[in-house]
Amino acid sequence: MHPLVVQYRAVVVKEVRQTVRDKRVMALLTLVPLVQLFVLGFAVNFDVRHVPTAVVDRDGTVESRDHARTLLAGDTLDLKAEVRDEQSAEELVERGEASVALVFPPDFEEHVLRGSGARVQALVDGSDPVRSGVAADAVARHAALRASQHLREQARVRGETPPRPAVELVPRVLYNPELATAVYVVPGIAAMLLLIVTTIIMAMGLARERESGTMEQLQVTPLRPGILMAGKVTPFLLIGLVDVGLALSVGAWVFGVPLRGNLGLVALATLLYVLSTLGTGLLIATLSRTQQQAFVGGFLFMLPAVLLSGVMTPVRAMPDWLAWVTYLNPVRYYVEVLRGALLKSAGLPDLWPQVLLLAVFGAMVMAVASRRFRKTTA
Amino acid sequence: MSTAIEVEHLTRRFGAFTAVNDVSFTVGTGEIFGYLGANGAGKSTTIRMLCGLLKPTDGHARVAGHDVGHEPERVKERIGYMSQRFSLYLDLTVRANLEFFASAYGAHGRELEHRIGEMLERMQLTAIQDEVTGSLPGGMQQRVALASAVLHRPRIVFLDEPTAGVDPVQRRSFWALIRELAAGGTTVFVTTHYMDEAEYCARIGIMVDGRLVALDTPEGLKRTHAPGRVLEVRGPKLAPALDALRGEPGVLDVSRFGAGATVRVDPERLPGEALGHWLRARGVDPLEMEESAPTLDDVFLALTAGAQRGED
Ligand SMILES: Nc1ncnc2c1ncn2[C@@H]1O[C@H](COP(=O)(O)OP(=O)(O)O)[C@@H](O)[C@H]1O
Ligand SMILES: [Mg+2]
Repeated sequence: MHPLVVQYRAVVVKEVRQTVRDKRVMALLTLVPLVQLFVLGFAVNFDVRHVPTAVVDRDGTVESRDHARTLLAGDTLDLKAEVRDEQSAEELVERGEASVALVFPPDFEEHVLRGSGARVQALVDGSDPVRSGVAADAVARHAALRASQHLREQARVRGETPPRPAVELVPRVLYNPELATAVYVVPGIAAMLLLIVTTIIMAMGLARERESGTMEQLQVTPLRPGILMAGKVTPFLLIGLVDVGLALSVGAWVFGVPLRGNLGLVALATLLYVLSTLGTGLLIATLSRTQQQAFVGGFLFMLPAVLLSGVMTPVRAMPDWLAWVTYLNPVRYYVEVLRGALLKSAGLPDLWPQVLLLAVFGAMVMAVASRRFRKTTA
Repeated sequence: MSTAIEVEHLTRRFGAFTAVNDVSFTVGTGEIFGYLGANGAGKSTTIRMLCGLLKPTDGHARVAGHDVGHEPERVKERIGYMSQRFSLYLDLTVRANLEFFASAYGAHGRELEHRIGEMLERMQLTAIQDEVTGSLPGGMQQRVALASAVLHRPRIVFLDEPTAGVDPVQRRSFWALIRELAAGGTTVFVTTHYMDEAEYCARIGIMVDGRLVALDTPEGLKRTHAPGRVLEVRGPKLAPALDALRGEPGVLDVSRFGAGATVRVDPERLPGEALGHWLRARGVDPLEMEESAPTLDDVFLALTAGAQRGED
């Protein structure tokens, strides 16, 4: 067997033995990501349904009751209470018992019948922008629908051909037809967890060798930095694959994430991504003298990496200069591959730039870490 | 005897501070070479340069025929190193540690098994090979460290205070292993601050504040730096008598310890009996007197005292 292969295998075996022996690291690698996935998956579930709604029907006519009924028929708005006046409705919203109040004014039916601009007032609790947005949207959609129905009705009554609306908006949500947020968020969470686990483990592992003096012993052996780095990284690449497998299985099973795309592509991207995060961990370790410094350094990298990845906030929503920074972020590319492959069945023809950039980032950061490692040797 | 280590004007500075200052010596193949010095004298810094871990600021060193500054990787393949800090994986078993370090030097398969089995046997570690290294007592950990430093059969081993903090019995058995290694042809470069251990070395270099102030066999060092005969004396009224003794002809050195004193004399000019008469005559009676040969302690004290006087 070639000596380099022997050395490489020795490092891999050693890393695996140390990892398996360390119960805390094992927990960090397997249990923690799963628990986090569950917790975060449920916590960031932005789906807006069953918004508690108060209704103030000051008209009390067939028309107003009919409108209220259709508005509450879907599962977006749920009737929480019927109250007499706006004041009590506002109080309900203020106390947080209702998020929306629908107010039908006394002359509602009259205006509808005359076609002279009937109004429904919607009081929306703006403290939760996602919710209020969806609720307001539901009311607006309802109003538009009713208006066009009404126009057509009147035209028929007058014996005319019903006019077509000047502009008709027909939204159709692709790839995630139910707008299920978990489906969108779970790949992001998987990427984030993988980032945290691998970066920290690698940074701490190397810093520990430095702190405990084993690094010096390694440095007198003929082990080359490249072999040492490759050997140290290998077991965690595989663990990363297993972690993503677990996360996606849970995602599919619990949150209904579709596993549509090319799973081979997902595996390839995962390997390249984990290579990047592990390499970053190694680089951080070469820049720190103690395990504590490595830990802090890890977080200083991970926080912006998560925030500027599109996991939490869409890149589109960022100011331009910040959006540019995301081009340097491997997390961004990995999340794009995961979402693209899993939700849109996108393949290599669509995602090759991301995969290529992950590979470039991984190779570069590993090379820099090895170089720095060699330097600290002298 | 061929040369294993050749050191010429070796110097290492850290900033403005010179840790190793213009040191030169050679070590022959199969020799046990001792490096003696107080804490901070520059022993570890010298060793780390010789192992290719640290670049010399000045001067040269050739180890196993290769220059440590230019070909550190060549040097590393041919040497074994046991660092001053315990530096094995405490969370792995004894065997796992040996397997790792043997493979790091390229051993594998049956060859690996054979070497490890033999080494465990030789270091008397066979029974504890599956124990986690961190759970072993200090003396045993040192033996594991030695085992992993020589597993790849290096021609030269560097041992940096290998017996620090180990009890005397363990230290003796550890030195038996070192001598066995040397008997097998391995060159041993060992640092220590235990003087009794230094007696086991063929030659000793003494470092004081980064300089190599003496280099010889233990006997030679004693002859040069602590000549004469050493007499330990005890008795009443010792203090005034000793003060008077210092100026007498034939008295080389007087040093007090506890209730007694060590007097080093030139036996030609002042034989033991004469010293006894002299002391009794000055009221030190009853007198207890015991004769011993000078030790390396005496050498070391003489040299460090000399260095300190030189600084003043
Ligand atoms: N990396 C370093 N940076 C700065 N000073 C150092 C370094 N290594 C050793 N020294 C200093 O050099 C001197 C000699 O240290 P060392 O060789 O470890 O002594 P010894 O092994 O004889 O106890 C000490 O004063 C120590 O503080
Ligand atoms: Mg030292």
